[in-house]
Amino acid sequence: MTANLKKSPAQSVSTNVLLAMLIIVWLSPLSWLMMTSVNPNPSGGFAVPTSLTFDHFLTAMSGTSLRQFLNSLLIAFSAATLTTILAALAAYPFSRLNIPYKNTILWSLALLRILPSTAIIIPVFLTGRALGLLNTGGVVLVLTLMNLPFAILLLKNFFDTIPPELEEAGYMEGATLRQGLMYIVLPLSRAGLAVIWFMAFTSAWNEFLFPFLMLRSDQAFPMAVGLYAAFGQYGATDYGFLTAYSIIYTAPAIAVYFMLKRNLTTGFAGVGVKG
Amino acid sequence: MITTSHVWLRRSATPMAIAAIPAILFILLFVFYAGWTIWTSFTDLALLGRKSVNPNFVWFDNYIRLVTRDGFLASVWTTTVFTFFSAIVGQCGIGLLLAILLKNSRFKLKSVVEFAILFGWLAPDVVAAFMWNAFASSDGMINVMILQPLGFEKVNLLNEYAIEVVIIANIWKGTAWSYLLFSAALDTVSKEVIEAAYMDGANALQRLRHVLLPLLRAQIATNLLFVTIWTYAFFSLIYALTGGGPGRETEVLSIYMYKQAFDVGKLGYGSAVAIAMMLIVGVLSVFYVRQSKDQTK
Repeated sequence: MTANLKKSPAQSVSTNVLLAMLIIVWLSPLSWLMMTSVNPNPSGGFAVPTSLTFDHFLTAMSGTSLRQFLNSLLIAFSAATLTTILAALAAYPFSRLNIPYKNTILWSLALLRILPSTAIIIPVFLTGRALGLLNTGGVVLVLTLMNLPFAILLLKNFFDTIPPELEEAGYMEGATLRQGLMYIVLPLSRAGLAVIWFMAFTSAWNEFLFPFLMLRSDQAFPMAVGLYAAFGQYGATDYGFLTAYSIIYTAPAIAVYFMLKRNLTTGFAGVGVKG
Repeated sequence: MITTSHVWLRRSATPMAIAAIPAILFILLFVFYAGWTIWTSFTDLALLGRKSVNPNFVWFDNYIRLVTRDGFLASVWTTTVFTFFSAIVGQCGIGLLLAILLKNSRFKLKSVVEFAILFGWLAPDVVAAFMWNAFASSDGMINVMILQPLGFEKVNLLNEYAIEVVIIANIWKGTAWSYLLFSAALDTVSKEVIEAAYMDGANALQRLRHVLLPLLRAQIATNLLFVTIWTYAFFSLIYALTGGGPGRETEVLSIYMYKQAFDVGKLGYGSAVAIAMMLIVGVLSVFYVRQSKDQTK
C-alpha cells in the first residue's frame, strides 16, 4: 500500500494473477459480443473472426430494429426532459422556502426512491388500461413518476449549495424573480441539471419492466423489449444480429457514464458518508 | 404556512408554489398508487372477467394464501438464496476485496479492471441477460472454451444450473456499484492507522479483520442496505435470462408477483405478494440501519 507496507514478491505476484483472471472473466462477455458482431459466421461460442463484416450492424440499424432504437431515444429523451423540468420547478422552492414538515417530505421522497416497481405496477396498469395510456406516452409518464422523487432530492441538495447572497445581490440591483432565475440560478445549476437529466435518461433507456407490460406491438417496443423478444422467441438464435443490436443498445449508456464520471463519483462518496 | 427568510422571494412564494404543483401531483400519485396496491391486496380483483369489474373485499384471504400455498414461500427462499449469494457475498464481498486490492496498487492494468467491471454495470439488463444466455447455452463459450477441453459433455447450463448462472450473471452485473462505493470510502481511511497496525506486526488478514472492517462498518452496512433492497426486488435480468425457469427454479418474488398478477390474472393476490415483498425488504432495512448505528454507541 505505501512504502512502509511492502508486500513479499510472492504476494504481489499472486495478487496480480488474481486481478488478471478477474479481467478475463469480466471482459469475456464483452469480447465475445465484439467478435461475434463482426463475424460473418457468428455462433454462441468464442471465435476470432477470419474476415470482418459490418452487415450485422446494417441489419440492426434498419427496419423494425431501427424503429426500436428511435422508440428508445424518444422514450428516454422525453422522460429525462420531463423529469428534469418538473424536478427543477419543485426543487427550487423546496430549497429556498420554509415549507411545513419539510424533513418529513424529504424522508418520504427517499423512501419512494427505494420502493420497487412491483409495488405500484398493478395500479399503473389499471389506470393505463382505463385511460388508454398503454402506449409510449404512458411509459414516459410512468418513468417520470419513478425518477421524480430521487431527482427532486438531488436537485434540492444542489440548489442548497448555490449561495442565496448572489440572488439577493441581483434583487438589490432590481432583478425580477424571472431574471434572477434566468441569469443567476440557471447558469450556476447547469451541472446539477445535466446530472439529473442524464441519470433519468440512462434509467429510462435501460428500463424493461414497464414497457414490457404496457406495450404490445414490436413497432412500439423500445430496444430493451425488442432485444428480449428477439432472443426469447426463436429457436435458432441470430447471434450476429443480436450482438450488433446489443452493442448499439449499450453504447449510449456507456458514453453517458464517461461524460459524467466525475460528478457521479462525488455522488457515490456522498452515499458512503451520509449513510 | 410557507414563509421564507429571503427578502427577494417574499412576493414570489405564490408563483413558486404554483410551479411546484405538477411535481407534487406526480409524487402524490406515486403515494396514491402504493396505497391502491395495499387496497387491492385485500380484494380478489382479477385482470379479466367479472371480478375485474366487481371485485369482492376478502379481508386477509390473499395473505393467508401466501403462507398456506407453496408458491410464495418457495419464491421467498429462491429470492433469499439469490440475494445472499449474488448481492451480499458476491457484489459486496468481491467489491470490497477489489477496492482494497486496487487502492494504491501499482498494478498496471488497474484501469482495465475498473473498465471491465464497469462495463457489466453499465450494460442494460437485457443485454446482460442475452450475453449470459448465449454464454451458458450448450454451444456457448463456457461449454466450448472450458468444459469441453476439460473433457466434460456439452450441457445446457441454463437447464442444469439455472440458479447458479443467474447468481453469477448478477455478480458480474452489479459488483461495480459496491466497488465504487468502497473505493470512495477507502479514501477516507487514514494511512497512518493501517501503517500503525503493520508496525505492530499485524498481518494482512488481521489488518483487514481488526482495522479496516471496523473502520468501514458504516459504509458496509449502507452498501448492504442498497444492494439487498435492489436485489430482492430485481426483475429484468432474471426474467430475460430464464423467465423464472426451468420449472420454477429461478422464480424470484418479483417474477412470481408478475406472473400471478399478469399471466394468471390474479391482481389481488399479486398485490399481496408485492406488499409482502416490501415488508420483507423493510425488515431487512431496519436491521441494516441498526447495524450501522451501533458503531456510534
